Amino acid sequence: MTNEADRWQERLSEYLDGELDSEQTAALETHLEGCAECRRVLGELREVVERAGRLIDMPAAGDLWTGIAERIHAEGSGPAAWPIARRAGRTSSSGRRQPRRVTFSLPQLAAAAVLLVALSAGVAWQAAGGAAARRAELATTAATGQTPAGLLPASRTASNDYEAAIAQLERVLAAGRQRLDTATVRTLDERLAIIDRAIDEAREALAADPSNAYLNRYLAGAIRRKLDLLRRTAALTEL
Amino acid sequence: MDSRDAQLAAEGNVEAFERLYRRHATRIRGLAYRMAGADAADELTQDAFVRAWQKIGQFRGDAAFGSWLYRVAISVVLGHRRRLAIHRRRGAPEEWIREGDPSHERRTVIGIDFEAAIERLPDRARHVFVLHDVEGYKHHEIARLLHITTGTSKSQLHRARMLLRGALA
Repeated sequence: MTNEADRWQERLSEYLDGELDSEQTAALETHLEGCAECRRVLGELREVVERAGRLIDMPAAGDLWTGIAERIHAEGSGPAAWPIARRAGRTSSSGRRQPRRVTFSLPQLAAAAVLLVALSAGVAWQAAGGAAARRAELATTAATGQTPAGLLPASRTASNDYEAAIAQLERVLAAGRQRLDTATVRTLDERLAIIDRAIDEAREALAADPSNAYLNRYLAGAIRRKLDLLRRTAALTEL
Repeated sequence: MDSRDAQLAAEGNVEAFERLYRRHATRIRGLAYRMAGADAADELTQDAFVRAWQKIGQFRGDAAFGSWLYRVAISVVLGHRRRLAIHRRRGAPEEWIREGDPSHERRTVIGIDFEAAIERLPDRARHVFVLHDVEGYKHHEIARLLHITTGTSKSQLHRARMLLRGALA
């Protein structure tokens, strides 16, 4: 690419958005007539913009309102506290206590880990079958048998259970790795490396601030991403 | 419809606020999903509506409720990123990898679907791209929201679009 093409490419988004003045627009259009590379890039940028305009917002998998109503009620904050409490109660037609919001607190983190280990073990069973899945099932059994004695020990226990499930899926994947094509393996390794760094960094930050719920949620999310990636890739080895 | 419900909500009417939630939740979640990623989308959607409830008395009705709610949500989403950044030495590993050499960024978006490619953009580029190309904000509005210059907004938008070309296939 020539220096001139390089210079004009930096202005292509502004051109696309109609933000160049008439003199710049004329100069760029003159350049475009003789530069196939810039015309190609312009076409791709135009397609990116069009794709962005066609994106569809997906609703949440579950109803988030119950968690919002509960928080409004619990915090007693907002425009009027007492009517909130009274009216938030009416949002539950059954009169039953509303379920907790989707977000994790530290006790929920432990509970979420148990559920996630169960899910991953189930997937491992589907992906691997036989003895490998049985070991994942044992990890699940161990997880569900534990009662959090305190926030941080519970969190550590949950983390250990995650790791057991991850280790199980990694073994499943190692056994079926040769059935994946080279590009998939390379992409998998790259993504795993990124996620592992995220996990390491989160743990490092948590070592300095172990009671930080936000960091715990971040760590849980990173581990969840790793489990999900391993689970999906392990399933590929069975195809 | 929105303005009436916003007025009722400001008086403490939760049913009215729930109606506002039902009308706007999917769009707010879409914003949170693309700005902060899939893992945080539901939580940030809830945070945004709780914040909106707390602040709804400040809604003057001189702009569309949806626009006001959007600004509240953007503030919540950006706050989420800042809180996370405080606790890490060099920013999230994904971020400093994303912020690294451009050839890596280019490589990571190739062959991945468009939504996933947006999620993999560097934070600043992703925020500008989502606000401009998905949500339709102008550069001067984005500059005010993100506390950057309009020139930075334009350059980050171009950077995001260039990176996303790899996800078109």
